[in-house]
Amino acid sequence: MKLSKKVVLLGHFGVGKTSLFRRFIDNEFSQEYKVTLGVQIKKKIVQLPDGRELSMIIWDAEGHSNSEDTRKSYLLGSHAFIYVFDLAREETYININKDLEYLKENYTKVPAKVLGNKLDLVNEKEISAHLKTNNIPFDCLTSAKTNKNVQDFFSDLAEEITK
Amino acid sequence: MADELQFNPQVQVLKVSYDGIIKATDKNLFNWPKQSSIFDAHPFFEILREFEQSDYSNHTALNFPCIHLEDNDSERICDITITFEKEEITIILFDYTSKYKDLNQIAQQKNESILLAKELELKNKYLLEKEEFKNSFIANINHEIRTPLTSILGFVEVLETTKLTFEQEELARIIKRESRHLNALIDDMIDLSKIESGTLKIVEERFPFKDIMDGFRESYSKMAEDKQIVFETNIDPNIQEYLIGDRTRIHQIINNLLTNAFKFTEEGKITLSVTKNYQRTNKLSLTFKIEDTGIGIHEENLPHLFERFSRFDQDKQIPGTGLGLAIVKNLVDLLNGEIKVISEPEKGTTFNVKLPFKFEITKTAPNRKKKKYTLPESSNKFRVLLVEDEEITQYLIMKILISKGNFFVDIAINGQQAINYIERRKYDLVLMDLTVSKIDGYQATHMIRNNYGDKFISGVPIIGFSGKSNDTARDKCIRSGMDDFIAKPFEQEELMYKIIKQIAKKAAE
Repeated sequence: MKLSKKVVLLGHFGVGKTSLFRRFIDNEFSQEYKVTLGVQIKKKIVQLPDGRELSMIIWDAEGHSNSEDTRKSYLLGSHAFIYVFDLAREETYININKDLEYLKENYTKVPAKVLGNKLDLVNEKEISAHLKTNNIPFDCLTSAKTNKNVQDFFSDLAEEITK
Repeated sequence: MADELQFNPQVQVLKVSYDGIIKATDKNLFNWPKQSSIFDAHPFFEILREFEQSDYSNHTALNFPCIHLEDNDSERICDITITFEKEEITIILFDYTSKYKDLNQIAQQKNESILLAKELELKNKYLLEKEEFKNSFIANINHEIRTPLTSILGFVEVLETTKLTFEQEELARIIKRESRHLNALIDDMIDLSKIESGTLKIVEERFPFKDIMDGFRESYSKMAEDKQIVFETNIDPNIQEYLIGDRTRIHQIINNLLTNAFKFTEEGKITLSVTKNYQRTNKLSLTFKIEDTGIGIHEENLPHLFERFSRFDQDKQIPGTGLGLAIVKNLVDLLNGEIKVISEPEKGTTFNVKLPFKFEITKTAPNRKKKKYTLPESSNKFRVLLVEDEEITQYLIMKILISKGNFFVDIAINGQQAINYIERRKYDLVLMDLTVSKIDGYQATHMIRNNYGDKFISGVPIIGFSGKSNDTARDKCIRSGMDDFIAKPFEQEELMYKIIKQIAKKAAE
């Protein structure tokens, strides 16, 4: 049977979910901000290290300041969540622990990866130290604009959810 | 519900088997053929694979609002309802594209304004950081440049006192002139940086206005004589002898404008006129007019005259930093004044500066002329302790003092060593660099003033010196107990004046 996994992008509006989505799927980037209403869905075939092919179905959900506001049906049948925050806007990650707790409680088997985006706008060393000091968890820091760490992040995720 | 009716959505109904094959469809919205796989229609329907594998019997119907579905070139935004029956799945698509596009516009505007505000905040923060970096860079480079400049200027002066050939004299004169120019450039950069960062403080003090004007007349008449041009001053005799204002900045404005006039005038006349505009109670307004018959400025250059580094003359021999007029304009603004310029090429330029002042109505003017000091009579030489860690400055100051013939100099390379020396020997004066190691100049002074009962120790005159030429360094010196301060680079005459003044004052106690 064809290997297919659903991954949902979550987080505040304007953090760059759609930019990451477009960068990963089509390797494109636009500086122009376009709001996402509802959800847009695309798939990308990812080659796994063991030779298998994974059809990654990415759901780019509209932004909400907390995960509880995301429509439940969007999260149904997910194999992973990617919680995206904007490294240059503290309000997009200040309550992240509460949001992650909510996902953990309600979707116990679904891993949630935390991704700090817009690395091009900040100093990497300074922001990493700031996040650590403020106890903000993160799995990866990316820039959809420069493509920094984006492809690697999705490849690692693909491998992890197919283990 | 009312909304939905109002938008009157088009609907498409599909019947799909649990393995994803489209069994029936009305094709109202999308032309997906019967017997094809729904999974190939759009990635959204991959969700149905989950229903193959999981027990979704609890779900009789699922609603997915606002799903973007693309088919070839068209995009529809639909609400999707999926109902599960025993043998098949029913999928109903409600096309609300126009409703969602309207909502999208509203959300776009709302989010954009929030993001734009944040973007502006970030840009401001970035600019502020850049500005802070620039100011601290200038402050640091100032210190680093002034120290070697002190040595250059000082040694040239020492060199000038030795036997030199005509050519050597000329070379020494050039080194001195260029060093002074470099020093002026640093002063200008510091001033401009302070003005732009808002840290330049305007002070109000009582000052001898007429003395300052006399000073301009004396120094610029000499310069005019050398250039074989005429320099005139016309000061309104009704202006009070003493005024209240920022003496330093006012002097700087007039001095910059006069220096400029002299730079660009090779023949004819330069005039400084001061007239009273009005006087009310203790306030008055003066206009300073600086008029020259120099090369003038072309009309197209006038709007850029007060910009930084604007130099319109092609003659690179004319010295200048290109910062002088920018500083003048900024200072005039800070003093709540006005500056205007009229110019005609080959005919000359006139600057009109209008500035507000205050004056005291009752007080009589004290005599504030620079007092002359002489060293007290003594059969012994005066002993000076020089606290300095840089060898080149040690050598320079020793050279200057020893050449005068009546000083002994001891050198301490840090604050701790200075304390040790002072405990062992009586000094007539201490020259204290502020940034020496172990114990800095401020701390060492504090210890000298407070830790000893012996007045020969605790009362020794101390002059601080540093590459930091600002008022803060001076104030900090005085507050820490020093008697005076001298900024690097200093000229021999100034250094000797301060040393003699302190020794004479101490002897007179």
